[in-house]
Amino acid sequence: MSQPYLFALASQKANWLHERQALVAENVANVNTPGYKATDMKPFSVLLDKAGEGLLTTNPAHFSLASVAQTPERPEPTDASETTLSGNSVSLEGEMVKLGDINRSQSLNTNIQRVFHQMVMSVLK
Amino acid sequence: MPDPLQVSLKTAVSGMEAQSVRLRVITENIANAESTGSSPGLDPYQRKTVSFASELDRLTGAQIVKIQNIGVDDSPFKLELDPGNPAADSKGYVKRPNVDMLVEMADMREANRSYEANLQVARQAGELMNMTVNLLKDA
Repeated sequence: MSQPYLFALASQKANWLHERQALVAENVANVNTPGYKATDMKPFSVLLDKAGEGLLTTNPAHFSLASVAQTPERPEPTDASETTLSGNSVSLEGEMVKLGDINRSQSLNTNIQRVFHQMVMSVLK
Repeated sequence: MPDPLQVSLKTAVSGMEAQSVRLRVITENIANAESTGSSPGLDPYQRKTVSFASELDRLTGAQIVKIQNIGVDDSPFKLELDPGNPAADSKGYVKRPNVDMLVEMADMREANRSYEANLQVARQAGELMNMTVNLLKDA
């Protein structure tokens, strides 16, 4: 890959984090909904591993899989160890931990992007 | 596709709205914990219940939360001997509301806790947006 790959990677990571935040919001909003099953994203590493494999483009007419890799993985139900009598499997504490996780990762992500941008700019100055 | 952070905000707001309604119903129950009927043999205040349901928001594809219905608690009323009460029947018994203060208080705390969690999610969605926007700073 000759292009600076990091920006695309950081953007995908940001996408994934934002989707995860939306899922946490759903889980927390439905914390008292009977029968609601908590969901979470597949780990980002799974998404990353899949991005490399796939079809080889041996002919320029072949479709690129880059656009496929852009879309985040679909959510999957988490383990139902905390299911209450009403069939709700959301653990509020777990969701709060996830929230902190997302915050930290996003902070790291944006800071890396900033530093990388500074590196690029230092060549120009 | 809508911005997931906006979706997250909207979902958190739906959660807060639902918990607010729940809190309102609890307040009604507590306020009417002593409301007996006005004439002999009349039923007193009947405890209200609230139930939630998750609903697919068609615009964003998120599972937001909605109030399913506000029903009434069918558990029996407590009878109390109080011949001086205007609602007392011929034997002097008054029907008291089927509201249990302890249950209402516990319910209130739970609604409070859930509301706070939703608030935290909304706050963080704003923070994440800020982090992204701040990339433009001193870049």
